[in-house]
Amino acid sequence: MDEKLLIVGINHRTAPVAVRERLAYGDGEIVATLGRLKDRAPALAETALISTCNRVEIVGVAADPARAIDEATSFLAADREVDAALFAGALYRFEGRDAVHHLFRVGASLDSMVVGEPQILGQLKLSYGYAAEAGTAGLVLHRAFHRAFSVAKRVRKATLIGRGSVSVSSAAVRLAGQIFDTLSDKTVMLMGAGQMAELTARQLHALGAETLLVTSRTFDHAVALARALGGTAVPFESHRPYLKIADIVIGSLSAARPVLEPDDFEAVLRERRYRPIFLIDLGVPRNFDERLNALENVYLYDIDDLGSVVTESVSERAREADKAETIVADALASFMRWMNGLDLVPAIKDIRVSIEQLRDTELGRHRAWLAALEPSERQRIEALTRTLVNKLLHRILAGLRSTGASSPDPAYTAEIARRLLCGELAPEGPALGGTAANLDFEMDLDSDDDEEP
Amino acid sequence: MDTIWLPPALVCYALSAVGFVAGRTANRPRWTDQAVPLLGAAVLFHTLDLVFGALRAGNIPVTNFAQSLSFLAWLTAIVSFVLISRMRMQVLGSFVAPGVLAAVSAAMLLTRRGRLVIPDSLRSAWLPVHVTLAFLGDALFVVAAGVSLAYLVYESRLKAKRPMTPVGQTMPSLEKLDRINYRLLGWGFVMLSLAIVSGALWAEATWGHFWSWEPQESWSLITWLLYAALLESRIAAGWRGRRAAALTLAVFTVLLGSFLSVSLLFPGKHGGSFG
Repeated sequence: MDEKLLIVGINHRTAPVAVRERLAYGDGEIVATLGRLKDRAPALAETALISTCNRVEIVGVAADPARAIDEATSFLAADREVDAALFAGALYRFEGRDAVHHLFRVGASLDSMVVGEPQILGQLKLSYGYAAEAGTAGLVLHRAFHRAFSVAKRVRKATLIGRGSVSVSSAAVRLAGQIFDTLSDKTVMLMGAGQMAELTARQLHALGAETLLVTSRTFDHAVALARALGGTAVPFESHRPYLKIADIVIGSLSAARPVLEPDDFEAVLRERRYRPIFLIDLGVPRNFDERLNALENVYLYDIDDLGSVVTESVSERAREADKAETIVADALASFMRWMNGLDLVPAIKDIRVSIEQLRDTELGRHRAWLAALEPSERQRIEALTRTLVNKLLHRILAGLRSTGASSPDPAYTAEIARRLLCGELAPEGPALGGTAANLDFEMDLDSDDDEEP
Repeated sequence: MDTIWLPPALVCYALSAVGFVAGRTANRPRWTDQAVPLLGAAVLFHTLDLVFGALRAGNIPVTNFAQSLSFLAWLTAIVSFVLISRMRMQVLGSFVAPGVLAAVSAAMLLTRRGRLVIPDSLRSAWLPVHVTLAFLGDALFVVAAGVSLAYLVYESRLKAKRPMTPVGQTMPSLEKLDRINYRLLGWGFVMLSLAIVSGALWAEATWGHFWSWEPQESWSLITWLLYAALLESRIAAGWRGRRAAALTLAVFTVLLGSFLSVSLLFPGKHGGSFG
């Protein structure tokens, strides 16, 4: 009866991309896969599948987690036609509390390659959506995923985990945003064609920079790149006049000597009427003389400067991650209370039924005597016994809930309580299902641990 | 001379100043968010204080240094509040709110030093017009100085390769700070010019001469020339950014000096001793 959440999978820390890509599923395949998984892994009562570029995980609920994990693992191997030995070493398996903890951490972007990156929450929501669509998400998964979303939201709100730039190109783009108010009227000039430079130019373009000039030592390269990025090619020999209109210059040339020097750049600045210019030097050796930074309204960042901006953001995110872990731990504790409460549900139902039966039997035994009484007296006796039973039940159930929720093995606690209170009358353990009595009880437990509906 | 509305205004100013400064230094965007309505509430209370003060005095209440300070702080708070709520210039709060708080506190302490009655000769429709224009100009220059200070701080951080990490979305770009500085200077200059013209016309109507070279008049002319030069340097020579911000601050110190010295050291007609 003791159902547990479980997670089995691989991620960027345990498996290289060569392994991850063999197991990964496309978005379109997931619903069908969940259907197959349901057939082939009968030990899993509920399932969901998370597949992103950094992780492939099966999230499930099972009464026998060990068996369910084995079934899920062999399903993965068979379904993806991969030798299980290929990923066996990379596989992690979480059960119960650990599984919930892992799910919450994933959602809060604490398990991401770039801690704090915001995409994972959307991916998790998609995974949940597929499970709901496939009909493989039940009571526990619904609750677990929704909790994971609210934890993620709380972490975003209460910590600065998503702050700062964690890649060189995004740091450059963010700095451009600190210098310029809008990029739409700005001109970007790309000198040379390094991968990082191209990425930066692309991002600036995507953020609204309309005019893009591309220059390169070989004009053909410039033309090809300009076509790819939607810009205009400029011959390298005649790039100088264009500096007058360029607001962001990205340097990525392989040059032994800097192509921009402070002496002749002064003239450019005067012609620009001192409009600010952002020089992003991604070249090694550097393309722009570092003394340019001292000129008025010139902001020069070389690759190391950008790197240190990134490092600072990364370490700040790490600090914020500690705060996030506390939030996750709180949510975990409250979720586990709910999970444990779930184990008590059948026992509570049995106890309630058996005590109600006790009352009915006793009343039945005295039927003849009761019938002889005045109607008002009879009603009184019925009311009295009902109150007595209800008060007794309330006391027992409240005690059971509080001890059960904190006990390490709530199912065992529940069983003892049932044996004590139901005796021979106990009907054989009903399956955990969606009866009205059960749902009532769940709502009950809900109310004390939920801040966000 | 102050009314019962000044203490609540002061409390709101203090809370909003704390919110702005602490929000920025402790990276708590929510504190900054809460400081904005507090500033609005402070302005509201302050407005009530001035309205009741004006009703009691029978005209615009700027007859002594304390009242002038309070009036200037009020206009500065309004200009800042508009910029903060309309142009998302939350950063201004941490520069301006403490200054406004200090000015209002000083006004409250000084205001006990008796009251001055406006002589009948000056009770005219020119008074509120002239005074409001002059103080609005000053307030715009105060805020321009705050914006320039923010510019210089951000700019030096950027140059030093230690850029600020924005908290929330409230960090304006250098370009925006520069543009707002320019606009504030422009409007401030317009107000100052109109104040001088209205003052001259009023003087003509009252005393029969436009200009009498009393301290405030001379200083106004000097600051007017300095601000004119500042605007000219931007329009003609394209001085902008850091240089413009530094000059704005420099000219502002002259303005501040003239405001204090005229009020405290050489009180002519403007300083409260109406000759």
